Amino acid sequence: MNLALKDTLHAPTRFVLTAFGVAFLVMAVIGMTGLYRGIVEDALLIIERIDADLWVVQGERAGPFAEGSAVAADMDRRVEGVRGVADVRRFTQFSQQFSVAGSPRRATVTGIDVPRDDGRWLPLAEGRWFGGSRYEAVADASTGLKAGDRIQLARDVYTVVGLTRHMVDSAGDGLLFVGINDASVIARRRTSEEIHLARATAGGAAAVSADTSSVAQESKIAAVLVRLDPAADPAQVIAAMQRWGDVRVMTTGEQRDLMLNARLWKLRLQILTFTGMILVITAIVVSLIVYTMTLEKLHEIALLKLLGARESVVIGLIGQQAALIGIAGYVVAIVLSWLIFPLFPRRVVILPSDLAQIALALTLVCAGAAFVGIARASRVSAREVLS
Amino acid sequence: MSDVPVLSVRALTRHYTAGGGLVRALDGVSLDVAAGELVGIFGPSGSGKSTFLMLAGLLENPTSGDVWLAGERVSHAGADLDALRETRRKRIGFVFQKANLIPFLSAVENVALSLEIADVAPADARAHGRRLLAALDLAHRADSLPAKLSGGEQQRVAVARALANAPPLILADEPTAALDSVRGRQVMEIFRRIAAAHGTAVLVITHDPRSTDLFDRIVHFEDGRVCAGKAHP
Repeated sequence: MNLALKDTLHAPTRFVLTAFGVAFLVMAVIGMTGLYRGIVEDALLIIERIDADLWVVQGERAGPFAEGSAVAADMDRRVEGVRGVADVRRFTQFSQQFSVAGSPRRATVTGIDVPRDDGRWLPLAEGRWFGGSRYEAVADASTGLKAGDRIQLARDVYTVVGLTRHMVDSAGDGLLFVGINDASVIARRRTSEEIHLARATAGGAAAVSADTSSVAQESKIAAVLVRLDPAADPAQVIAAMQRWGDVRVMTTGEQRDLMLNARLWKLRLQILTFTGMILVITAIVVSLIVYTMTLEKLHEIALLKLLGARESVVIGLIGQQAALIGIAGYVVAIVLSWLIFPLFPRRVVILPSDLAQIALALTLVCAGAAFVGIARASRVSAREVLS
Repeated sequence: MSDVPVLSVRALTRHYTAGGGLVRALDGVSLDVAAGELVGIFGPSGSGKSTFLMLAGLLENPTSGDVWLAGERVSHAGADLDALRETRRKRIGFVFQKANLIPFLSAVENVALSLEIADVAPADARAHGRRLLAALDLAHRADSLPAKLSGGEQQRVAVARALANAPPLILADEPTAALDSVRGRQVMEIFRRIAAAHGTAVLVITHDPRSTDLFDRIVHFEDGRVCAGKAHP
């Protein structure tokens, strides 16, 4: 007979509560790991999906994600002329507050070079990609917008033509894709007072537009994305462009490295530290649970020894009980994770490989806890039955 | 039946130090118990009865002297108690004042456990457990948990568990102390029956004078020594 199972079934409520306690700890580990994965995935989303070989950004800057960047509005034409360049696209990204039905919303406006790029690399959940006309937007569902919604950005009204899911920036703000020219206009939004001051400064010149500001204007193009000819040598192309002196050229790998090891480094470190801490706490709690369960059974263990049970019977009792707690806790944790984490504001990515590693860690924790219990049980003498 | 005693202790001594002085818990006890014999061990508290049971039951090592089971020297000073588990499992059944049943196992499982520990198949162990419980008038309580049994029923389950492996020796320490006179007598009659029917040597440590008529022999302990012995008429 399986003594561990018999004991467990004898006090099912207690076992369930214990398993839930372990499950919540394991769920916290799954959550922290998933949060880490989610932040990394979100941060790399654009870099990975936009399909660029090179990023031409402002000179001596590490833009556009790790640092601010602005290149000349016609930089794309300059880059296009470099030997080995297959095609170019302008890119920009900035945070934007806007209002829908009176309630404030927040999004990261991402300008893509329509019509060179119609946004087909965006995984649409609803609607369509860009059709080529202005004042169209593709929004992520996390912004709260729906396909067909109309929103005012700067002084223009945009129609949401498509909807994506899980397209957010490294801060978790939903992405709002618009054409690059629209994005430039939104970024150049100015107050009326600024425009009046600009007109005054221009000495009453007639052709001062709404885009003109009292402060110095800069290009709102953050980077030019380059796709290389298959036969091109990236090093030569990079060297050719960097000789201009006013740009820096980075590969997609360098962008990824900057994002993870510069911009997100502290956050990643903090999350991993917390994950480690929760694992240690889980180890301590599970060890204490198994040890306490062993202490409660010392009399029965002494009796088993009195009856002549081999050490393997006692080891099996403690080891199987630790395993039962671990397995139950792990299964409940996974179920709870699937149910609860989708409700979290940030994406929690549960990868099978992470679950496997957590299972391995929990196995080691349970084995360690069982070892502590078994070490205590091994000191029990059969004569303690009489005490 | 062989003439070799089931249990034989020779010059058994157990000394320990307490409060700076030497305590002679057992001081040179020699005793034989034959197959089929029901022996009662009487004596006041602190006379060495329980120490004797510990040593005879291979739960503790003697300071000096030997314990023999069926002519084989099994325990002595410095013997490895852990290595004696198998001997205990095969040759000795224990019954104590408290039934010491495992609370999360039913009556029949408590009995069958002794057999499963000895590698008997679970189904066979359970079937034998039911037979033993039936023999002790507990067939209707076989599936009950210990908490649902009366004190007398629990003690009978403990007896059934002690009998499960058909050991040649049963050691009982105050088995009737927690029972009323009727239940206590019942348990002692079971021991009597076991000794007679199975040829089991039964050694009962007791304070209870109500069942002395059932013993073949009574041994008195005092100050760690055997001070008198008499054969029951």
